[in-house]
Amino acid sequence: MAVRSRLPSLRWRRCALMLLSAVLLSAVLLALLPSTGLVGAQPSAAQPIPIRVLMPAPLADAVAGPVARFNARGSGVAVEVVRGPLDTETISDLAISSLLLGEAPFDLLLVDVSWLAKYVAAGWLVPLERWFGPEVLAGMEPGARLGNGLGDHLWRMPLTGDTGLLYWRTDLMERPPRDTEELVALSRDLQRRGKVRWGYLWQGRQYEGLSCVMVEVLQAFGARWWNGATARTELDSPEAVAAAGWLAGLLRDGVSPKAVANYAENDALQSFAAGEAAFLRNWPYAWREIEKSDGPVKGKVGVTPMVGAPGEQGGGTLGTWGLSLIEGSPHPEEAVEVIRWLTGPVVQRQLAIEQGYAPTWSRLYDDADLQRRAPLLAVQRQALQHPQLRPLTPAYAQLSDLLARQVNGMLTAQEGPDQAMAAAQGQSLQVLRSVAGTTGPKGTASEG
Amino acid sequence: MKQRATTLLLMLPALLLLAAVFLYPLLRYGWLSFHASSVLTGLVPVPNGGANWLRLLSDARFWTDAGQTLRFAVCSVALELAGGLALALLLHQPLQGRGALRALTLLPWALPTTVMALGWRWILNDPHGPLNAAIRSLGGSSYAFLSTPATTWFFVVLADVWKTLPFVALLLLAGLQTIPVDLEEALRLEGASRVQILRRLTLPLLVPYIALALLFRLAQALGVFDLILVLSGGGPAGSTESLALYAYLNAMRFLDFGYAATVMLATFLLLLALLGGGWLLLRRGGIERTPDRAT
Repeated sequence: MAVRSRLPSLRWRRCALMLLSAVLLSAVLLALLPSTGLVGAQPSAAQPIPIRVLMPAPLADAVAGPVARFNARGSGVAVEVVRGPLDTETISDLAISSLLLGEAPFDLLLVDVSWLAKYVAAGWLVPLERWFGPEVLAGMEPGARLGNGLGDHLWRMPLTGDTGLLYWRTDLMERPPRDTEELVALSRDLQRRGKVRWGYLWQGRQYEGLSCVMVEVLQAFGARWWNGATARTELDSPEAVAAAGWLAGLLRDGVSPKAVANYAENDALQSFAAGEAAFLRNWPYAWREIEKSDGPVKGKVGVTPMVGAPGEQGGGTLGTWGLSLIEGSPHPEEAVEVIRWLTGPVVQRQLAIEQGYAPTWSRLYDDADLQRRAPLLAVQRQALQHPQLRPLTPAYAQLSDLLARQVNGMLTAQEGPDQAMAAAQGQSLQVLRSVAGTTGPKGTASEG
Repeated sequence: MKQRATTLLLMLPALLLLAAVFLYPLLRYGWLSFHASSVLTGLVPVPNGGANWLRLLSDARFWTDAGQTLRFAVCSVALELAGGLALALLLHQPLQGRGALRALTLLPWALPTTVMALGWRWILNDPHGPLNAAIRSLGGSSYAFLSTPATTWFFVVLADVWKTLPFVALLLLAGLQTIPVDLEEALRLEGASRVQILRRLTLPLLVPYIALALLFRLAQALGVFDLILVLSGGGPAGSTESLALYAYLNAMRFLDFGYAATVMLATFLLLLALLGGGWLLLRRGGIERTPDRAT
């Protein structure tokens, strides 16, 4: 009996060993993964005042050169760029987690235009008009001036003037389409002749990117999501239903693949870069990605501002980034100097050349040398003349979430455009009512 | 009496730690769920009676998500238990290279969920994913797996089963190893078939381990978050959204902490009711037979 009872205990030990090795293995795997959290850039010397800036990784990398030069100047301020995650929503989560704890580990935050109203209402940002007078934005393109002010305050200084753009294949057509009808007609013709598998690729996944697409499609059909004057959504207007119906039709008629309903920016870009489609909706960065690669469409891609329906003015969604000063920063004066410098023409010029980000300053668009080195410049400037701002309200995240959900439901054939838009409108009004029911919003939607 | 006091004293640090980590957040959620705390209140909690709870009762999205979460948990845990038991029985056999095999089966479990979910998203990509490549090479045409609610749901469950099946198998394997060999031998000598041994000896003695795996996995599955966030983002059209994802959206995206706390707490209460019910059921089914009494 004694011998037998030792057997299980041996097995137990083996089992415990296995468990232990599994735990150790997972620990090692976790440690090997590059952490997506805060990775401080170079720790600076002790003397200068450190100013920390949280940015998404691609922008952080893009400004690394200028920042190093700035720090070498020895102005008494050392800029430390904190590389955040790449994804816009993920970096917002990271920023919010820090901001909720009170003392944020950064002085400046690169704020996406869609976060602004929410962050302002939460009281996390410091108004900048003390340092930047009303004339400062006058030197910028019209689109770049939007989405920085709320109430009577200036909350961020824009660093990039990106908008959604329409990519087209120069090897398949002589000129880009002038309107949505031409876009569909060209697509179907090219598909029929077997030149491309798909016509038009865009972002249909249930996420913020689909809301950006919707802003453009609504504009293309003369509808609008948000009426700033009444602070109400207008998603069930006949024009809005027609706009949604056009998107659904793209999938129904096979101009866009069904898979678009799960595409984010990168999925659509990969498929377009592989030569599978005639058109792509994406942000300016996609052009560099295509030109950097050795893919089949390299050198065969043109870019144009977003098109509208016949007789309507098209417009691209504003996806601009800007620097905001965080409430509680111990060195606001120095931090503002960093804002002034980082959003200045020197850095913007570099961003345009190296990464294709659209500048905000008008005079950079007139710079002949820059025009040569950043080929999208003319189109980007054109796009900034008819910019489409997403609703500037603290409840934007809810509104966007429910719109993307309804439209995605329509794209995956669960309901028709009229039902989807009626539901989105009903739910939006409910959200806005609950917003109005609590306390008066701090900043209503006046833009500037 | 004195011994009892010493016992309590020795347990005190652990109890305090548990209270700090579990009890305090729960109480805080409870308190917050009776307050409005959002961007509209400047993130300052303002008492609003039971408004959050009333809103929850009529919030169709909450109840839809509750149904979806429950369906996900029940399906994935059932598959994991069945598959885990089969795998445990296999790994219990005296096979050559058993150690290596055991280590190998653990790999999916050791993988971080986010990485695993990204991998699955890539596998299912239309048209570039390997699964669609395989379908095309067999003469079929690509399918947008993640653009249809039914297939998305299927693959969310499959990914979860793939990842956590080894965990269940490991737990059950530990249970199998506590079953004395002589009992099995005795049954065999008396002419019992393999199926009879499994039904009359192995399974009954394994019940405590099955219950343990069930409770662990059910609790985890009902709180599923990262897998869904990465794999489907809750889509298409919210058809794979879980309660944890909804609570997260309310807190981190909408900055509505009062309602997020209400959703969280309601989820916890649902979980508690479910696990409590399950536990009672298992108790009646003989969970009292603890492992040490079985040996």
